[in-house]
Amino acid sequence: MGWYKRRLAKSLWVFHVSGSPCNNCDIEILDLLTPKYDVERFGIKLVGSVRHADVLLVTGVFNQKIAPRIKRIYEQAPKPIFVVAIGTCTSGTCCFKDSYNIVPDREAVIPIDVYVPGCPPKPEAMIEAVAKLIGVLNG
Amino acid sequence: MDEVQQFLELMGSKLTRVVQKPRRLYFYIPPEEVLTVADYLFNQLGCRLSTATAQETYDGIEIIYHFSLDRKGQYFCPRVLLNKEQPRVKSIVPIVQGAIWIEREIFDFWGVEFEGHPRMERLLALHHPENLDKPLRFGRQV
Amino acid sequence: MTENKIPVGPFHPLLEEAEYFELKVEGEMVVDIDMEIGWMHRGHEFISESKAFTQSIYLVERICGICSTSHPLACVHAIEDIDNIEIPMRARYIRTLIGELERVHSHLLWLGLAGHFIGYDTLWMWAWKYREPVLEMFEAISGNRNHYGMMRVGGVAKDVESEKIPHLLQILDEIDRKMEMIAKAAHDDPVLKSRLKGVGVLKKADAIAYCAVGPTARASGLAIDVRKDEPSDAYDLVDFNIVVLPNGDVYDKLVVRLLEIIESNKIIRQCLEQLKTVPGPILNNVKEITPGEGIGRYEAPRGEVFHYIKSDGTNRPVRHKVRAPSYVNIPTFMASCKGIPVADALITLAAVDPCYCCTERALRVVNAGSEHLDLLALSRAKTEQLRREIYGK
Repeated sequence: MGWYKRRLAKSLWVFHVSGSPCNNCDIEILDLLTPKYDVERFGIKLVGSVRHADVLLVTGVFNQKIAPRIKRIYEQAPKPIFVVAIGTCTSGTCCFKDSYNIVPDREAVIPIDVYVPGCPPKPEAMIEAVAKLIGVLNG
Repeated sequence: MDEVQQFLELMGSKLTRVVQKPRRLYFYIPPEEVLTVADYLFNQLGCRLSTATAQETYDGIEIIYHFSLDRKGQYFCPRVLLNKEQPRVKSIVPIVQGAIWIEREIFDFWGVEFEGHPRMERLLALHHPENLDKPLRFGRQV
Repeated sequence: MTENKIPVGPFHPLLEEAEYFELKVEGEMVVDIDMEIGWMHRGHEFISESKAFTQSIYLVERICGICSTSHPLACVHAIEDIDNIEIPMRARYIRTLIGELERVHSHLLWLGLAGHFIGYDTLWMWAWKYREPVLEMFEAISGNRNHYGMMRVGGVAKDVESEKIPHLLQILDEIDRKMEMIAKAAHDDPVLKSRLKGVGVLKKADAIAYCAVGPTARASGLAIDVRKDEPSDAYDLVDFNIVVLPNGDVYDKLVVRLLEIIESNKIIRQCLEQLKTVPGPILNNVKEITPGEGIGRYEAPRGEVFHYIKSDGTNRPVRHKVRAPSYVNIPTFMASCKGIPVADALITLAAVDPCYCCTERALRVVNAGSEHLDLLALSRAKTEQLRREIYGK
């Protein structure tokens, strides 16, 4: 699989999954694609369908209604797929620990490879996470 | 004449426990008068329905309608007190179209049934995977 | 009659957040629309009732990342409404400054996304490029690009130091120039005009019936704006106009937002000039909240944010009700999406600047048409019509 992963690292296509976030991480992800940060220089591109994706960017603390949908999205994705969790909500639960409608264990819904904490994380932190992922893929 | 005075004179006999604060007017109305008061506030005075709040009190479930009179910055807040066991009240959707979601949300959270609502279904927990049989906020203690 | 439904969502490429729409369509025309929300419901009201007032402000900031000043501001207005707490003059200007900066960044964000939705990515990149200086100003003032954490009961958390103000004014000058350019360009753009003019009309009567707020209502000729109707903070001390347009289509909503950016820049400049001289503390020490209830509202970029707080004299709210502007604006789709082509429905759905994190929603298109239409002829006719509109031939 080594050659495959090295090829994958040349151009990662990302699909954005929002699992009950506050929108902020999502906006910062879109910000990455716009002229100031411009991650397309690393070959990263946002795609409209999960079936084209190599990386899932997951945001938010999953609520009970969306958790099965996220699971289904993950199953639909072509493997190998890498999951990057953006924001404190996915890493911890932020301030939603006491809510009646959230899934307590997000790793039980989908396996997560990379965590980027922060509320919201700086775009630089997200770029670093993806660059690290590329580094791992390259061996 | 100022709208609040006018309203109090016209509807005064129906209102109880009136609290008047600057730019805010809270009062209780009997549940059967909801349509009359909403019709006067929305159609005659030209108020906008901001939203409605439901809350649990010792006496029962209370719904507060927040009507905003935008040209004066004035809020009219009629409140109705409903039976805790079987909360039912007339829907104001025939008068205010914008109340569709607001009433569905109250039904979802507190189990209040609105008679005459075109689509009395859960709003946020529709097709919820847990198959909830109770309102979302029912019996939840902080 | 066969019924055709187009399901959209909950995950789809149009919008960032998950929501589900079902459009009932007849041929190419949408005849009915159904929305389902609930994918973003995290129970803020419930959690807030277990938190102290100071923590509630932190929590409501996380309702929505785009309106992350409007919610805390409406929340502190509600708490201040219980006791009629006075706010120091300097804090009033700082609140207004932050609120208006947020409006600029939110409207630019919408402008970019609207461009993205109609396949005009140049506009998207452009608008978001000029949004960056606004975020820079936020970073200089509060230390964070989003989620500023500036609001407190009785004032604000951080001062705007006077040595920063010339720098901020410099950035503002640059934003002003760019805004004028972008407003003019978007206003005169033949692509935007022919794509958006007359699309998704929300009539004034419908806007009243559905209780629409914000730019959605103002583009339909309803002059409602909390900043004028119930001026709080420094809004009665600064000079600005509210923008009202009569047509109610998507193009008018675009123009309302563009003009509002320019008005907001005016307010920001006045606030910064005032902050050079206005002295004083920025926070009143509030010892306790007495039992009672309060309503707080603020004109967020999308419309009126409404918070209702009932307190019983302890440090926690007994009931905290939040109503976001999209919550009342989204049902207007039931009026504005009927009888328009599916392709136009999507930009109409985006035109109210829906924020599902505030509201949570879903849409569904249903095709109820049984007539067989020649799609090729239809699309040729439409291309021809667009060409005529753009080149006037």
